[in-house]
Amino acid sequence: MIQASNISHFYGSEQVLFNLSFEVKSGEFLFLSGESGSGKSTLLSILSTLLKPSSGELLLDGKAVESMKDMDYFRQSKIGFVFQFHYLINYLSVYENIALAAMDDKKQNINKILDELGILELSSRYPNEISGGQRQRVAVARALVNEPKIIFADEPTGSLDSKNSTIVYELLQDAQKKGTTVVVASHDMQIQNYATKIIRLKDGQIL
Amino acid sequence: MIAFKAICKNPFKSLLIFSSITIAVMAIFLISSVSQGVIGMYSKMIKTDGDIIITQKGISDTFFSNVDISLMDKIDKLEHVSSSYAMIVGASPIGHIPIAGIYGTTANHFSHYKLSSGDYPKEGEVILGENLSKQFKTKSINIANKNFEISGVYRSEIGFEEGGVVMNITDAGRLFNRSASFILVSSSSPNEIDGIVQKISNLESEIEVKTTQNFIKEYNQFKIIENSSFVISFLAFAMGLMGIASVMSMIVNSRKEEFGIMRALGKSRFFIIKNLFFETLAMSLSAYLFALILSLGILALLPHIEMLQGYVNGTLSLATALYVLVSTLFMALLGSLFPAWIASKTDPILLINQGCA
Ligand SMILES: Nc1ncnc2c1ncn2[C@@H]1O[C@H](COP(=O)(O)OP(=O)(O)OP(=O)(O)O)[C@@H](O)[C@H]1O
Ligand SMILES: [Mg+2]
Repeated sequence: MIQASNISHFYGSEQVLFNLSFEVKSGEFLFLSGESGSGKSTLLSILSTLLKPSSGELLLDGKAVESMKDMDYFRQSKIGFVFQFHYLINYLSVYENIALAAMDDKKQNINKILDELGILELSSRYPNEISGGQRQRVAVARALVNEPKIIFADEPTGSLDSKNSTIVYELLQDAQKKGTTVVVASHDMQIQNYATKIIRLKDGQIL
Repeated sequence: MIAFKAICKNPFKSLLIFSSITIAVMAIFLISSVSQGVIGMYSKMIKTDGDIIITQKGISDTFFSNVDISLMDKIDKLEHVSSSYAMIVGASPIGHIPIAGIYGTTANHFSHYKLSSGDYPKEGEVILGENLSKQFKTKSINIANKNFEISGVYRSEIGFEEGGVVMNITDAGRLFNRSASFILVSSSSPNEIDGIVQKISNLESEIEVKTTQNFIKEYNQFKIIENSSFVISFLAFAMGLMGIASVMSMIVNSRKEEFGIMRALGKSRFFIIKNLFFETLAMSLSAYLFALILSLGILALLPHIEMLQGYVNGTLSLATALYVLVSTLFMALLGSLFPAWIASKTDPILLINQGCA
């Protein structure tokens, strides 16, 4: 599902990723771990097409990202994101935030997903009217709505307590069990319990 | 429509953009239309009742011009001349009013001032413009230490005139110590006007004869008003437009995070630009309309403000309104779409992290 070869990245003249190569199979749960500043977020952004690597090649679902024609469609239909901070759009309601991400033929799933995540009754509220844990569940719902092939999550529980963290991990695991590939970058070693594959980074290199 | 949700959910920002556009547009409208109005009124006063104007040679301002009124007899005898009248235009304190216009004219021009009460003035009498008459309840008024009986009240669509007094030219001649400021000549045959100008010029050497159209075009005071108002309204406009563009770009910059999220969710550049386009368009168009209505309202009120005695008047031309509309929309869109376009080319994660920083 993900094939990375010789990925390097520079911010200005500072190199933060060094020739990383690895593969993640379909349906795996990958845990990107490492100390703060080791390059987890940078790598996750590259894998999820949100950042162009300085060099190296990346295949997602068998397609080379660099030469991909319809990147927008690919992002919408194949990829789901969960960020450390929820990153919902503040002038849209919970329902509208998810609808914004949803493909036309997936819009009918929105209520079902909200129900599964236990936030259906919040659907007409705005992001500033719900709790942090609820917001993060909305973000997970948004990531799931198009039934993507891969879900990327960067510190998805960074701002949550352990009870809410467990809820989020279980939601991601549910998705993985249904065949979705899941990639999570985090400090939280609790994820080891859910992961099928672990990549440890140190100073931009795989240990 | 997502664009309108963005407007409604951020009322403070929307109000900021809305009011900055409104104020910029109003400044342009008011400055340019008041100065145009002043010029328009004066030109109208001269143009309505004559085809040719005779002033003193070398005197550029009608206030200082002195022409011999006996010239009228010779002019009236010329071929194709249908009528002529003489006028003295002056300004003086009237009663407790610090300054008001005084129009001394030959009796054949009185009909230009429509009486709303009383009779046209005989010697020693004046009629008051409606605006001015509201300030006087007396039967006589004092002008430059001379007493004049009030014989009537007149109306005029020209603001200057409504705030002044009309008297016989002989009375005005004594007040201002001259024969006539200018003589206006009408002709019934438009094709002969250039010929008449020539013939009148030959009558005397100390006069300057022009068609009223040329006179207005060349009148120095107009040029000064026009040029300075152009500079002022241009500066107001430029500042307003830069304000609009910078408010828009500030707001777009503060929304980079949102654009990053949308890009991450697979929304196209086009989707983002399109929504911002409608958002900006709706905002600037409604602010423009609001400013237009306010300005028209203010301009309509100006002639009725007693303190101004009708001296300040304004007309808003369609050309100005359209010109301002186009440039407002252009700057608002430039200010919002240009930074959005740059942002849409940036890697989404960098936009998202910028927003969070
Ligand atoms: N936009 C940027 N510009 C310049 N340098 C950056 C930028 N983002 C990250 N870095 C640098 O790149 C390195 C890797 O950062 P990254 O965010 O990938 O680490 P991380 O493993 O996610 O850390 P954390 O666990 O604290 O989130 C760090 O040294 C960081 O300072
Ligand atoms: Mg990180």
